[in-house]
Amino acid sequence: MAQAIAQEELLGKAYDFRLIRRLWQFIRPYKRLFLISMLVLPLQQAFGLAQPYLMKIGIDQYIAGKDLWGLQTVMLLFLGALIGETVAIFAQYYLSMVVAQRCLADLRVAIFSHVQKLPMSYFDRNPVGRLVTRMTTDVDVLQEMFSSGVMTLVADFTMVIWIVGIMFYLDVELALVSLGLIPPMAFAINFFRVKARQTYRLIRERIARINAYLGEAISGMSVIQLFAREEKTFHEFEVLNADHRDAYHLSNLYEAALYSMVEAAGAVSVGLLLWYGGGEVLQGIIGIGTLVAFKEYIHRFFVPLREFSQKYAVMQSAMASAERIFQLLDTPVDIQSPRNAQVPKPFRGEVVFDDVWFHYQSGDPVLKGVSFRIEPGEKVALVGATGSGKTTTIKLLNRFYDIGQGSIKVSGLDVRQWDLRALRQHVGVVLQDVFLFAGDVRANLALGDPSIPLERIERAAQLANADSFICALSDGYHGHVRERGSNFSAGQRQLLSLARVLVYQPEILVMDEATSSVDTETEALIQDALEKVMRNRTCLLIAHRLSTIRNADRIIVLHHGEVREVGSHAQLMEKKGIYHRLYQLQYEREQLKFATPETALKVNA
Amino acid sequence: MGRLSRYIWRYWRSYLVGGLCLLGTATLVMWIPWWIREAVRVIEHGGPMRDVTYYAVLIIAAAVVQGVVRAYSRALIFNAGRTVEYDLRNDLFAHLQKLPLSFYHNQRTGDLMSRVINDISAVRIMLGPGVLNFVNAPLYYVYAVALMLSMDVRMTLAALAPFPLLMYVAAKFRGRIMKSSLQVQQQMSVLSSHVQENLSGMHVVKAYAQEQFQAQQFIGLNKDYEVKSLEMAKMRGIVNPIMQGINGLTVLIVIWYGGVRVMRGDLLVADIVAFIAYLNVLAWPTAAFGWMLSLVERGRAAMRRLEEILETTPAIANEPPPQITFSLKQGIEFRDVSFTHERQRNGHATLEGIDFKLPVGRSVGLVGRVGSGKSTVAQLVPRLFDVSTGAVLMDGQDIRKLSLHELRKMIGYVPQEPFLFSTSLKNNLAFGRDACSMEEVARAVQIAKLDRDVEIFSHGLDTIVGERGVTLSGGQKQRATLARALIMDPPVLILDDCLSSVDAQTEAEILHELRAILKNKTCLIISHRISAVKEVDEILVLDEGQIIERGNHDQLVRLGGVYAELYQQQRLSEELEQI
Repeated sequence: MAQAIAQEELLGKAYDFRLIRRLWQFIRPYKRLFLISMLVLPLQQAFGLAQPYLMKIGIDQYIAGKDLWGLQTVMLLFLGALIGETVAIFAQYYLSMVVAQRCLADLRVAIFSHVQKLPMSYFDRNPVGRLVTRMTTDVDVLQEMFSSGVMTLVADFTMVIWIVGIMFYLDVELALVSLGLIPPMAFAINFFRVKARQTYRLIRERIARINAYLGEAISGMSVIQLFAREEKTFHEFEVLNADHRDAYHLSNLYEAALYSMVEAAGAVSVGLLLWYGGGEVLQGIIGIGTLVAFKEYIHRFFVPLREFSQKYAVMQSAMASAERIFQLLDTPVDIQSPRNAQVPKPFRGEVVFDDVWFHYQSGDPVLKGVSFRIEPGEKVALVGATGSGKTTTIKLLNRFYDIGQGSIKVSGLDVRQWDLRALRQHVGVVLQDVFLFAGDVRANLALGDPSIPLERIERAAQLANADSFICALSDGYHGHVRERGSNFSAGQRQLLSLARVLVYQPEILVMDEATSSVDTETEALIQDALEKVMRNRTCLLIAHRLSTIRNADRIIVLHHGEVREVGSHAQLMEKKGIYHRLYQLQYEREQLKFATPETALKVNA
Repeated sequence: MGRLSRYIWRYWRSYLVGGLCLLGTATLVMWIPWWIREAVRVIEHGGPMRDVTYYAVLIIAAAVVQGVVRAYSRALIFNAGRTVEYDLRNDLFAHLQKLPLSFYHNQRTGDLMSRVINDISAVRIMLGPGVLNFVNAPLYYVYAVALMLSMDVRMTLAALAPFPLLMYVAAKFRGRIMKSSLQVQQQMSVLSSHVQENLSGMHVVKAYAQEQFQAQQFIGLNKDYEVKSLEMAKMRGIVNPIMQGINGLTVLIVIWYGGVRVMRGDLLVADIVAFIAYLNVLAWPTAAFGWMLSLVERGRAAMRRLEEILETTPAIANEPPPQITFSLKQGIEFRDVSFTHERQRNGHATLEGIDFKLPVGRSVGLVGRVGSGKSTVAQLVPRLFDVSTGAVLMDGQDIRKLSLHELRKMIGYVPQEPFLFSTSLKNNLAFGRDACSMEEVARAVQIAKLDRDVEIFSHGLDTIVGERGVTLSGGQKQRATLARALIMDPPVLILDDCLSSVDAQTEAEILHELRAILKNKTCLIISHRISAVKEVDEILVLDEGQIIERGNHDQLVRLGGVYAELYQQQRLSEELEQI
């Protein structure tokens, strides 16, 4: 189960330079800051590494020489180095976090803006949750990379070199003896590191399986319960869970061995240092202070070694996240304004469909050569049974999808040559399910645009008959709208969506009338508002109301993706064709308020 | 924390042995500076070399032994943490399976998932690294301070003088960091709900060309997040270097003050060396102290949240003593059933006065508009929900008195929303059975008219259907779920408008095939198509949760009510299809 999802979690290899190069694109705007933060590192290291050396001088020259003033001078220098180191560590961390936060904020915006441009077909295929994860969790993992000091890996390495250099400078023989353990240690560390990396990969694979399984079990819990398969499912889960535990037990063993080995090696080195260095002190070659300094340097030498495996793990998951993020960023934006986008002026407002073919899945055309023309100011009702292609037709008009063949012209220009933003400002599409955003009423009517004055919004609401219930809210136009507008009735939501149209005043209104039933009083309000909304604009409506088709200048009947009948209500009724039957089916019984098969299908689909 | 201590108690052996090993490690770690002191003392006094070698060998031996014991204790304690994680995850999963659907309706899958994943991991970290450091830190402190005091009291006091400052800094910043990280988390959830909503309302955003505007709003929220994160980073960034700096300060004090006393001749350089060594040992537990406390805090909070889930009692559970075996002899009966959902959402209608009998071998059809309560009636039979008043009876027995497992085993329920697991088609079809023959699968596939589709699939029955069955069409998914129920071969079959995405002709063919099977089954059929219920023994017409008409097809048509109306419409739309 859920192999595909598990696979997704496994993308990415650590130190993938292609990914690092792309990440660098986001760091680049802050490269000066980044550079400074990197330049602070050697400073920080110099302050740190000076301390043992000052200890040596203090002990060997001044304590041994009983020079109090000298000791005090050295100790003041030591204090200076200490303060310098403290400040440098803070500066380094803070500066790199500034860079991290800024470039990751940019990255989030880049993802968000890119997602805004993706065509509707992308959202049909990809669950919202996954896209949210890209912008939140995955970017957070990248932040972890900055804050855990992965960026300083190179600096860690140079510090190790520095330490070795200083030790050799102080005493070559002693350096050789106390670092004698390093080559075999390096082998052993590498052995465990490779092992740890292998188990780490195993672990990631297994945790991804567990999570995928868990997610699926939760979404499909009703099936599991209905089929009484709890035991079987639990058993499968337990196996995955045990695999994961075992992988971790192994990894813990490696990790513990690695950690303890580094610790032990440090202590053994001190033993060797004492033994050989003690001899040298006794022979008068070096002072005790040198021993002390050596011990300090050994101590500092092992710190980066100990942290390495941890940083490696962070790096690996960061790369996996980066890979997923860039994959999303690389998703092509199929529908966008062409290079020399146009906006026809003056805007005349006619709509022409010319032999339009369209399919969602190849081989299954939804529209088969649809042609019609709507004159400016004309009100046209689109009528047809479920699956006849009505909704698709209106979604094509503002380029939610691009057609396969033929052309759609708005104001004489093919929609694919329009400036997309301008097109959508001129063509207002109102879909059936009214979507309200969490926030306040005003933001919902203006869609969050604060430059739209409140008066305009209030006027729109008044015209749409929404003013009275908005004012009845405790905060009026600042009244709270819950997620998806759940604190408004279906009728109120429809009125709000009509008010929204009036705020934006598109020249062409394309609308799929809501089917949800409302009480007669609200129905009257909606019809009244609708009439006002339709006044003085070109309208194409998928009609669900009797009044709407009665008021339409013309009716276009779609059937199985083709235009079959065109004419006024009276003409078409007389013809006794498809429209006549549709009328009987969908409109005549409106008063009965009993579900037509039409609406039943809508909800199930 | 009863539950947590139970888990820990289960592995007390690991924790005990691990703890003893930690004690051993700490002892050896603490003796090393002591021997360093002895060795340096010998060196200071000019020999003999033999003694120096002796201490060096002691140190090396202690280092090696310490390394081995340390590795063992770490592995032991971390593994215990992982084992508890394993147990906890199993228990949670088992418990989740017992929770009723109403629980899942009030939770988003993503929220539940992240709670389970993050909280379990927080508990694990508390029980692994948390426990280890919790034992280690006091052990190191007590040892080191005692040994330092035994060397020189004044020197110890001088060296530890900055510690109160350290405690103060740690305490002060810990509170601030906690507060700050809470703000960051809150801002993150603001940010992600903005994204969530923007994506759900994408069609509105696009229709009104509001992409740039939405992006601007996002940039604003994102900026807030950036600022808050930086605020936190600043505080985090201050604490660590200060801790480290204070530790360096103690070393400075030791050398300075110690140096003066060495000059005066009442202390040896060896003592200074030993003091520095002890302070080095203390550096890590000191730096990690705040971190450790936050681990425990986070772990406890996580455990509380998990307990919330674990203590949610399954509203629908076996009432003891459940009757173990059961076979349907008379039939199912709804006796004056009413049902009110706690939250009037998710399309669950209220039912009132639902009263009908479904004798063995017969079938009942349910029709009515969307939201009339058809599905809810069906869901009461396998106890996806329990009735509010009245009762659903099987052979006169209240189904709440039956074993839930046996009850559900007896019912093949085909839901409206097809859900398939992301495994192979065959595994999906055989989901309800421990083992089943290829013939049984083939037969069910044929009845559900899935055979032609399977032929086209590249891997036939072994085709992986993808997450939630994305690679299949809506109709294919529905037919697959029907086949899945048929393979179970249950005595009771409930079809909850399960062929809505299948075209009318295929549905007719499927219904035709089904008829033969339905003869010896007790069947409840819900459909928006009259054709599906036309031939059942009794049809119930529901509206607003009540039965408004009942009878067989001919009776209802003759009645000339809602059903007849519906039938008329159906005929019209069929005619329309033909044009």
